[in-house]
Amino acid sequence: MTSLPTAVGTHESTSGAAGTTPAAPGGPRRRRGPSTSQWAAVGFAAPLLVYLVLFYAYPLWRNVDLSLHDYTIRAFVQGNAEFVGLDNFADVFASSTFPTAAWNTAVFTVVSIVFQFAIGLGLAVFFRSSFRLSGVLRALFLVPWLLPLIVSSSTWAWMLNSDNGIVNSVLGAFGVEQINWLTSPDTALLAVTIANIWLGIPFNLVILYSGLQNIPGDVYEAASLDGAGAWRQFRSITLPLLRPVSAITILLGLIYTLKVVDVIWIMTTGGPGDASTTFAVWSYREAFGTGQPDFSPAAAVGNILILVALVFGFLHLQLQRRQEAS
Amino acid sequence: MQNPKRRPLVLASTAVLTTATLALVGACSSAGGTGGGGSTGSATTFTWWDPYPQHDASSDWEARVQQCGEDAGVTIQRTAYDTTALTNQALLSAQEGTSPDVILLDNPAVSTLADTGMLSTTEELGLDTSDVDENLLAAGVVDGAEYGIPIGANTLALYYNAEILDDAGVDPASITDWASLTAALASVTDAGHKGITFAGIGTEEGSFQFLPWFWGAGADLTQLDSPEAVEALELWTGWLDAGYAPNSVIQNSQNTTWEEFLTGDFAFVENGTWQVNSAAEAGFETGVIQLPAKDGGVAPAPTGGEFIVAPVQSDEGRYETTREIVECMTTPEGFVETANTFAYYVPPTAAGQEQLLAEKPELETWVEAVRSAKGRTSDNLGTDYPKISEALWTAVQNALSGAATPQEALATAQADAASATS
Amino acid sequence: MTSTRPWWKTGLGVVFTALMLFPVYWMVNVSLTRTGDLRSDPPHWFPWEPTFEGYEAVFAQQFPALGTSLLVGLGCVVLTVLIAAPAGYAIALLNLRGRRTLNFLLLVAQMIPAVVMAMGFYAIYVRLGLLNTVGGLIVADSTIAVPFGVLLYTAFMSGIPRELLQAARVDGAGTWRTFVSIVLPVSRNSTVTVALFAFLWAWSDFIFASTLNRNGSLIPITLGIYNYIGNNTTQWNAIMATAVVASVPAAVLLVLAQRYVAAGVTAGAVKD
Repeated sequence: MTSLPTAVGTHESTSGAAGTTPAAPGGPRRRRGPSTSQWAAVGFAAPLLVYLVLFYAYPLWRNVDLSLHDYTIRAFVQGNAEFVGLDNFADVFASSTFPTAAWNTAVFTVVSIVFQFAIGLGLAVFFRSSFRLSGVLRALFLVPWLLPLIVSSSTWAWMLNSDNGIVNSVLGAFGVEQINWLTSPDTALLAVTIANIWLGIPFNLVILYSGLQNIPGDVYEAASLDGAGAWRQFRSITLPLLRPVSAITILLGLIYTLKVVDVIWIMTTGGPGDASTTFAVWSYREAFGTGQPDFSPAAAVGNILILVALVFGFLHLQLQRRQEAS
Repeated sequence: MQNPKRRPLVLASTAVLTTATLALVGACSSAGGTGGGGSTGSATTFTWWDPYPQHDASSDWEARVQQCGEDAGVTIQRTAYDTTALTNQALLSAQEGTSPDVILLDNPAVSTLADTGMLSTTEELGLDTSDVDENLLAAGVVDGAEYGIPIGANTLALYYNAEILDDAGVDPASITDWASLTAALASVTDAGHKGITFAGIGTEEGSFQFLPWFWGAGADLTQLDSPEAVEALELWTGWLDAGYAPNSVIQNSQNTTWEEFLTGDFAFVENGTWQVNSAAEAGFETGVIQLPAKDGGVAPAPTGGEFIVAPVQSDEGRYETTREIVECMTTPEGFVETANTFAYYVPPTAAGQEQLLAEKPELETWVEAVRSAKGRTSDNLGTDYPKISEALWTAVQNALSGAATPQEALATAQADAASATS
Repeated sequence: MTSTRPWWKTGLGVVFTALMLFPVYWMVNVSLTRTGDLRSDPPHWFPWEPTFEGYEAVFAQQFPALGTSLLVGLGCVVLTVLIAAPAGYAIALLNLRGRRTLNFLLLVAQMIPAVVMAMGFYAIYVRLGLLNTVGGLIVADSTIAVPFGVLLYTAFMSGIPRELLQAARVDGAGTWRTFVSIVLPVSRNSTVTVALFAFLWAWSDFIFASTLNRNGSLIPITLGIYNYIGNNTTQWNAIMATAVVASVPAAVLLVLAQRYVAAGVTAGAVKD
């Protein structure tokens, strides 16, 4: 029922890799001279390269520039900012918001990813064998993605309202006391995390589902013939085979979650106080949340964010290298 | 496989979608040509930014703006931003040298932009501001220079639900100070209704709503941890603890507060001039009283409303026309028209106010309130105000949510504000 | 892939979907609620006294914006595929030197916060004269999807059996010919997936539209919503109605496309 080239591709590459010489890096046998195929490769990659330089390099450079100077808004407009080196970063680290923001970012990101991934994987496994309506239901799971963030975040804010929200209403019916989801420092971070998990499930579902589709069914049949139960199959077949897909899903999920601003901003504006402020929200608040835009500290926090993401990127690279070596 | 059967369907749907897209876009560009103007020919184009996206290309406001442009002999190209984005967009454009000719800007932001040197003064433009009320003009004064003219002002007052007050036996006229207000709230909640709602959100709106109480206690923005300030904050936390105000105030915007009031459950709401029409259409009878100061009298409330400002342009020849456009908007008739368009922005001149009252005598309370109101950036706070405001709303949030006592919260706020403004 | 499972699976699926989509239901609920009932305590599960003023406002005002969003979405899809597919081919099959660095750079590209991108774009567009143009917005929105698209294509294309490519080469096809006649058709599912992501991300983008494309005649739906957000007042039922109306065509697209998305997003990433 799935498109055949895919299944073919998987099978063939299994045998193909053994048979032919893949164009491995540094492979001794190359059909053509490196120059010709390299020029072709560069030609094909050229639009991307130009695109990257034009549209990513410049904003990134600008952000670094903002963080290394003291851009009061006067300097921002007139373009004569003083170079202050790493002072902005020092101020950021010394600020009272820093430990809270760091902690919140860590908690928010880790919890979001764990649950998004787990629920996405669970659903992907659930949908793996098709049943009536499975296609439509799976498509419907992507609907949260369609909604502009202001709408979905606002909807969650409505639902979690302390006094007239539907969630408290339902909980109240079970005898649970009113929880001030968005206004209590204890639960604000939890509330925005829940909304973020909800937003992240479609992405994980789509990627993991197609990853699952590429595990040939015979492997599972063989395993069940051998007497392995569903859980055993999951642990010994699904998880290992899904590792590369999982790795990239988690990495991307991490990068996207680190950047999340809208959900938190619309639901709690990072409050009350700093209770739900993450680095991204802090950066946004410095630049746009007050009447006095503070671009330099905002850029400094933004760069710290990028550095954190870079660290995980490197980790992923190491993981990949080790995997390819084995 | 799928291809032969699927292909036509997918192709067909793509074709339909594309046609639909082009049709929609085509329909709009032919119908919505007013905004873009498209008038070629000799008239030059002047750019105008304002924070009223709800008044789109077909609205009366747009027509009025265009009219002012025509009277000055140019076409105006108007772009509406949401108010939070406008300041930053203005900064971005100033940096690139592409500032618009006219901006309508929320009054606390005027000093911020003025400080960057991107705004021209009213003197440079040759505008006469002698008629404008001092307390309203002050928001745009930085170091003695005036950077714009208010096009109208609105402010806060206390709306009440007349039916609930009747039911609880409370006479609105008896609410003259904090003690009587709290007593009224007690009576109302005893009678089974909800007391008061307001906006304590962690943005400028939160500060805006807290300021009447802050100023009403006699506190000053340069000293956030004075005993008076603590009293003001304790008033709010007291209400919350006693159950007179709901927990949601910590997260409420002014709009949300109004929606809560419209359910008919609340006796009081602190809100502004802009809800006068909505109050009239509510499903229950409503009334308005002034916000009381702590020991009696009217609490000074902060002024809302935009200023019309003119960014500096490289081509100074444009100023002549800009001046004409600004003058067109700031005649007494112009003020009254603006007042009517924007749900009762009170005109900032005595002449304008009289004309408004002549047409709508029921706005007396509001005109009074505006006369006693105070600009947030006045007292030469200027660009210090946003920093102080941020510290203030953070303190309010912390106190209301129980993370700190009012005393502690304000002490932190004062420390933060002092270090940020030094 | 085995026999059709019994109804209980469908039932469970429906329950899960219902749970997931509950906020969407709430959105529809709010879109039909009168302003006076919006904050009632306890909240109404169902709009007992519905109002259609939100939808009326949307139908009267928002169609041009919907059209623009569609246009931007489709344009973004085309641009993303145009850039990402050849790049994926180069990295996966043409053995581009430095491809590991390039992959890493693509990851880094996705780490840049959207606000930073938007501010940088403003400066670039002012100089290029691309402010307030639909084309400019299409390019800006594609930056959200291109790195991911390249990743996807690379993952898929590296699983294409070498025999196919060698057969083509033996037949005398050059690199370009191989790309167009073999690789692209085989990667159809990846193309659909990339198209889907690109469309959805462009459809719901706000930050680029807000910074770069505010003026007048052609604004996307995410900005059109601001028609209902005044300085101090907000018309929530209209906002939710806009979201509902905007979601319908995209949801239809989703259901149609999910078949292709299912298979082939990551073929070849699973090696054993």
